[in-house]
Amino acid sequence: MNADCEAVRQAAMEEIDALEDLRALEESRVRFLGRKGRIAALMRLLGETSPEDRPALGKAINEVKEALTSALEARKQELEARDLAARAAAEAVDLSLPGRRPRQGHMHVINQVIDDIVGIFVELGFQVAAGPDVETEYYNFDSLNTPSDHPARDSHDTFFVKPGVVLRTHTSPVQMRVMERTQPPVAIVVPGRTYRVDNDASHSPMFYQIEGLLVDHGVTFADLKGTLALFVRRFFGPDTKARFRPHFFPFTEPSAEMDISCSVCRGAGCRVCKHSGWLEILGCGMVHPNVFGYAGYDYETYTGYAFGMGVDRIAMLRHAISSISFLYENDVRFLEQF
Amino acid sequence: MRISLNWLKDYVDIDVDADQLAEDMTMLGLEIEAVEQLGADITNVFVGRILSIEPHPDADNLVVCKTDVGHGEPLQIICGAKNMKVGDKVPTAVVGAKLAGGFEITKRKMRGVDSYGMMCAADELGLGEDHSGLIIMDPATPVGRDAKPYLGLDDVVFEIEVLPNRGDWASMIGVARELAARYGRPLHVPAIKLQEMATPASQFSSVTNEAPVLCPRYIGRVLNGVKVGPSPDWMCKRLLAAGQRPINNVVDVTNYVLLETGHPLHAFDYSLLAEHRVIVRRAKPGETMRTLDGEARTLTDQMLVIADAERPQAVAGIMGGEHSEVGEGTTTVFLESAYFDPVSIRRTSRALGLMTESSQRFQRGADPEMAEYAINRAAALMQELASAEVAQGLLDAYPEPVPRREVTLRYDRNNALLGAHVPPDNQRKYLTDLGFEVVNESPDTCTVRVPTWRHDVAEEADLIEEIARFHGYEHIPVTVPSVRPIEVRFAPEHDALAALRRLLVGYGLTEVCNWTFSSDDAVRNCGLEDAYLDMVRLENPLSERQAAMRSSLAPGILNNVAFNIRHGSNDLALFEIGPVYRPRADRELPDETPGLAIALSGAAEDRYWSRAPRAVDFHDLKGLAERVIEHFGAGFEFTVSESALFQAGQGANIAADGEVIGRCGRIHPHVLRSLDIPQDVYLLELNLDPLLRLPQRYSQFQSIPAFPPSLRDMAVVVDAEVPAGAICEAARRAGGKLLQRVEIFDIYEGKQVPAGKKSVALGFVFQSPDRTLIDADTEKACDKILRALKHAYQAELR
Ligand SMILES: [Zn+2]
Repeated sequence: MNADCEAVRQAAMEEIDALEDLRALEESRVRFLGRKGRIAALMRLLGETSPEDRPALGKAINEVKEALTSALEARKQELEARDLAARAAAEAVDLSLPGRRPRQGHMHVINQVIDDIVGIFVELGFQVAAGPDVETEYYNFDSLNTPSDHPARDSHDTFFVKPGVVLRTHTSPVQMRVMERTQPPVAIVVPGRTYRVDNDASHSPMFYQIEGLLVDHGVTFADLKGTLALFVRRFFGPDTKARFRPHFFPFTEPSAEMDISCSVCRGAGCRVCKHSGWLEILGCGMVHPNVFGYAGYDYETYTGYAFGMGVDRIAMLRHAISSISFLYENDVRFLEQF
Repeated sequence: MRISLNWLKDYVDIDVDADQLAEDMTMLGLEIEAVEQLGADITNVFVGRILSIEPHPDADNLVVCKTDVGHGEPLQIICGAKNMKVGDKVPTAVVGAKLAGGFEITKRKMRGVDSYGMMCAADELGLGEDHSGLIIMDPATPVGRDAKPYLGLDDVVFEIEVLPNRGDWASMIGVARELAARYGRPLHVPAIKLQEMATPASQFSSVTNEAPVLCPRYIGRVLNGVKVGPSPDWMCKRLLAAGQRPINNVVDVTNYVLLETGHPLHAFDYSLLAEHRVIVRRAKPGETMRTLDGEARTLTDQMLVIADAERPQAVAGIMGGEHSEVGEGTTTVFLESAYFDPVSIRRTSRALGLMTESSQRFQRGADPEMAEYAINRAAALMQELASAEVAQGLLDAYPEPVPRREVTLRYDRNNALLGAHVPPDNQRKYLTDLGFEVVNESPDTCTVRVPTWRHDVAEEADLIEEIARFHGYEHIPVTVPSVRPIEVRFAPEHDALAALRRLLVGYGLTEVCNWTFSSDDAVRNCGLEDAYLDMVRLENPLSERQAAMRSSLAPGILNNVAFNIRHGSNDLALFEIGPVYRPRADRELPDETPGLAIALSGAAEDRYWSRAPRAVDFHDLKGLAERVIEHFGAGFEFTVSESALFQAGQGANIAADGEVIGRCGRIHPHVLRSLDIPQDVYLLELNLDPLLRLPQRYSQFQSIPAFPPSLRDMAVVVDAEVPAGAICEAARRAGGKLLQRVEIFDIYEGKQVPAGKKSVALGFVFQSPDRTLIDADTEKACDKILRALKHAYQAELR
């Protein structure tokens, strides 16, 4: 009887070793371990065996059964691993092919810069204000202490729509529009389009400015310096230095222009900064008492500062754009760089 | 304004170097445009003396010179100039020398004779353009010395930008005055050395001022026996450094005094003035004269003229007349120095379209006191340089002295405004150093009288700026204010538009930013309706193409499409967000309405190795429109547009919450042709204003279904013209409340269905909130839907 067990075991082992796929393995399993399989046949013989031989034979059959079970399982795992490896080999991708990327849109670089600048001032507590591009001379000039015969009007080559109506030459008229609407405190930033009759390598007839205005009790020139110095460090980088120089604007007194240390040469002097180490980026000053007069604010109670910067120039500096004409040509080969 | 450092040193002691001086001027508000080191690129040019001049053996136009340059053997130099003689001292460049423009001197053989250097003409040393001959130097110049200082080539010239309110800076004395205050040094104004004739000027001439409002002060002087001739070296050197070409001693003196004092002078030929007298008056309406530039000018009674007994001889303060111009034959000069009303000069200059150095200075505001110094200085120089005999005294019509302003400064107000602590003594001293006179004082304040040259100072804030400048902007502290928030929002649309921009960029679109100008042609070329010709128009456009403000975003973005295709970028997904402008008859200012334009063309997706790119079509554009309107929380509806902008059958009007806000479609081939665009373009334009006005709507939570949905598909065959949207809508209405969603998943026209028919495949999603649906539920609903479709559209199940 033991010989029978041994014969089954041997036959099974040989067959299992030769198995080459999972379907055949399943057939083998049924043939040996199934209800009508050869192990079951051996078990049936067990009933015909003498009681004294029965334990030994039972043990032998069980050993064969266990050996077969574990051999089949081992073979199954081998075959599964082989199949998986074959499938993986067949399905391997060419990693060097480029990824399938979603189409990437691009915000215009001017609006990216506006978002960044406005974001810094909003964080400081300023809020965005706006006004019309087509503006009255009153808001664009007169109420900003620039009466009709003021020499400063000459430097604004103004587009006229009709008598008394112009394309705004700066974003400053929004100062007055906001001050007329509300009493201090006022803290606004005003991004917007502005216009001058000028079109050459460094001027565009339409360009962008950002205006800022803060009016409250005790606003000082020192506050103006502090706010703008913080702004340039945030925008241009922590090592950027700001320099304030006396200047003239009709609607501020004292007035200043602010330079930043040249981002190209870091102050050593280069072509971009005309070898001065400094780049002029904005005009600013303390709000002129006459402007408060137009706004109906009391100059003894409140003081304020205002500033205005050209977005185009700042965008050109930050992104090393060589000519202003790129900004409004809308060549996608340009737009997609930002 | 060009400021020569050597000249500047006449008026104030300067012991800092040029870099420091430039820095100091900058920090006073004198903006430096450029610093020019004259002769900086010139080396090894010495004062040489010509020992001999021999003819060149082999060239008629060259000579062989021996020139002593003070060291070594005399140099043999071949020269082409003709104006020198033996013994002359000339600037001589030796071998190894560098001249203007980097030109280097080497040993050369010229027509077989060696030349060991070069004797220089003016242009070779960067002194103007003159190449007519060698520079012959003063015979007293020591041989062998560096020639540069003797030629004014050791000077530094600062090109400064004069602020519009600081006309006083457009002069040597004006700049020196600031620097004297800055360095705490005295200002040296040249003393006038004038020996007048015994005969008073009033015997020669007279001045009648009939318009004292337009001309508060008019001074004349009569200079006899003037000998017109060249100016001396020292004056030429300075005029050249200042960028002025020397002309003759009379003209040069007026220019020199102008540069020195900032005060414009005018010289008339006395003999050509009728009755030899001067009348300051308004022009008679229609009166004409010919100005120095040769133009005939027609004048109005708003313009001031300087006339003789008969006719105008100058447009006051702007330009002299041809008739009385000083020339070769002039012997007696009537010299004018006046103070004109800035506004009047400005208006006349504008009306005549005539802007001159003089008009610019007067309209910025001249100095009525300087008028007197300037004429005396000029008279003394003419005496010195042109042998003028100066008649005694001024013909000074100054009926009412220009009033001088007094302004009070509060020391604590200064410190409060600047946020700095400037001691009162310093505040006062900064002002007095600048020429302000203290007329009244208290412990907390001082009242100062403003100098006549400071037209810019009218109130306390102006004095505070002076104090800030001299205290130094860089010494004012740096503080960050705390900003008090307020509730009112001034521009809520700003954030909404920024969010829309980000949304569209997220969908793969690229933003363009166009000039907001337009024109009739641009409107017509795009096939826009005539209503778009109602534009805000400019009186002074840069060109006809930019003559108006845009009434639509379409021309701009279509132009961008054309431009990019022309430059080889064919697959385009562009958008622009910005205003359009429409005139308002009832208001001064036009409407400015924010709009959105989208233009799609070419492939809908990037080229990729695994699939062929799909071309964009109408529904790409429609999908974007749907997303945009949904983004604002509105419902949308598309109806047929008949606009000539679109190809028939591919244009739609777009409504949001029932209001038409724009349109979209495939651009009509005629429009494409007129814009020279060789491929299809899909364009959308929306008025964003109604969307921006919608109240903010926040999504409200819908409970997540607890029971699974049942999905059913159905394909029906209908007439090809039946809109798929109508089939969907009919199915939705017939489907009962268990029907949650209807989707179209296929549209088929072709061999499988009869001609003129199409198959529409619909997917239904049924769902109940409180039970799992069984087949009977969905079969019943599908039957109802099919019956409804049969009834409404003769649909057949496929
Ligand atoms: Zn630099």
